[in-house]
Amino acid sequence: MPAALKKGIPHLLLIAYVVAVLYPFVFVVFSSLKESNQAIAENPWGFPFEMKFENYVNAWVNAKISVYFWNSLYLSTTAAVSGVLIAAAMAFAITRMRFGRSSKLLTQFVLIGMLIPGNALFISQYLLVRDLHILNTHWALFLPYVAGAVPMSVLLIAAFMRAIPGELEEAAVMDGLSSAGLFARIVLPLTVPALVTVFIINFLGNWNEFLLANFFLNKDSLRTLPTGMVGFRDTFQTNYAQMCTGIVYSVVPVLIIYAFLQEKIIEGLTAGGVKG
Amino acid sequence: MDKTLKNPLTYLLFVLPAIALYVLFFIYPMLTTFYYGFTDWDGLNPAKFNGFDNFAKAFKDDLFVHAIRNNMIFILASVLIQVPLIIFFALMISGVKRLQRFYKTTVFMPSILSTSVIGILWGFIYEPDIGLLNQFLGLFGIEPIYWLAERQTAMIAVLITNAWQWMGFYIILVLAAILALPKELNEAAAIDGATGIQRAFNITVPLIRPIISVVIMLSIAGAMRVVDIVLVMTNGGPAGETEVMASYMVSHAIQSGQYGFGTSIAILIFLFALVLTALYQLLFARKQERIEY
Repeated sequence: MPAALKKGIPHLLLIAYVVAVLYPFVFVVFSSLKESNQAIAENPWGFPFEMKFENYVNAWVNAKISVYFWNSLYLSTTAAVSGVLIAAAMAFAITRMRFGRSSKLLTQFVLIGMLIPGNALFISQYLLVRDLHILNTHWALFLPYVAGAVPMSVLLIAAFMRAIPGELEEAAVMDGLSSAGLFARIVLPLTVPALVTVFIINFLGNWNEFLLANFFLNKDSLRTLPTGMVGFRDTFQTNYAQMCTGIVYSVVPVLIIYAFLQEKIIEGLTAGGVKG
Repeated sequence: MDKTLKNPLTYLLFVLPAIALYVLFFIYPMLTTFYYGFTDWDGLNPAKFNGFDNFAKAFKDDLFVHAIRNNMIFILASVLIQVPLIIFFALMISGVKRLQRFYKTTVFMPSILSTSVIGILWGFIYEPDIGLLNQFLGLFGIEPIYWLAERQTAMIAVLITNAWQWMGFYIILVLAAILALPKELNEAAAIDGATGIQRAFNITVPLIRPIISVVIMLSIAGAMRVVDIVLVMTNGGPAGETEVMASYMVSHAIQSGQYGFGTSIAILIFLFALVLTALYQLLFARKQERIEY
């Protein structure tokens, strides 16, 4: 059956690739349920028959994964929401209000941000945050996260807002709506699909951010998951089962979001990627 | 109409929050970077202008030269090894009908995860005694290898992890471009008797050259920025073997307080990225004529 074989080869190669992507996850989940390093070493591939769910309780309660988790969750969410709102406001002004030349200038100005490699600003941002006396507070992450999201968010949302037909707002203005009302009641609701995409991109970016989180905070109670996990690993290096539960905690929320919204995430990230 | 949409106060109010944060955390740091890079500064005492001394010092430091070399290795590995694989897998996925969505979803997964968690996860896979990799090699009687602790293997181990994380993202970019191509061209060629491989090389790949170009540019930019994965997996070790420019910068500025010197490294990262992308544009991207179908 050469025809069937021909059809089968791509699948064979792709399945091999998918296994290479997925197996590390399976390995971590299995290991997280095992009793000890000994148990992992004896049976590295296999299913954990004596499941040790205590590992999860221990990591959450005793090893403070819960602290990192909530820090990450609230910081990522508030920063992403704020970023989307201020970007939407700016996008509204530059696409729908009638200040053509200033708007063009502002768009160009924001575009510069897409060209600056984030890491190159790291030290200057560190010093800035230090001089603002917000080092070692969550503001030290919140403000750079929101600011960092501005260029791409504004450009994506503005592109979407440009497509809204002008008649709608003309009618609204005739009915006596102010520009703030126009923004809040007409344009913003129509832009929701773009806002959701931008929110997810920002949220994931914040949730995963490491460099700033690692150097702008050194109080353990303030740490976010990516940096908390590194400290956690260093403390529990001898206990790999425990470490794997930590990995599971930091990966699962992202995978759940991804499972529900993967189409939007891929769409948004590829749109951003092509532009960047 | 005009009264409402031409109100400068409202305009300002709408634009101000985004612009203020952007100026404070982007534009201002960019300007200070270019200032402090030319000074000798410990972050506390007044900065002393010292011209190009920092840059001369950097290039005299073997560790920094090694870090540049490692950034180049990252670039070469992404462009010469990953990009062909990315195109290959994107072509494969575009060619299948069944399970296409499944492949799309799973392949992309690693790129939404935190680099630091991926570093930890792979650190465990490389663990000498109970890690997945050595256990696997053990099946063939290979002695445990200390992947991240030995000079010969540490860099390769980091590169593999980096590839595992990012390949799926680029595969999806290329796949999106392939799926957007008009189907008629491929079908016509198939009727003319071109095999799948011929069609891939003679039709699809030439048509998606713009997106391949984007992928290469993003890979170069990414390779210049690379730092999290190195900090988490090896912290530049063993003995500076895996140090990259950004990790060198971080350790000199934050950990030893040489802020002037650190920011000059930041300028170098910025310039290298700029020169490389410009060079690439000049040498390769401009040659492409506009593609029409």
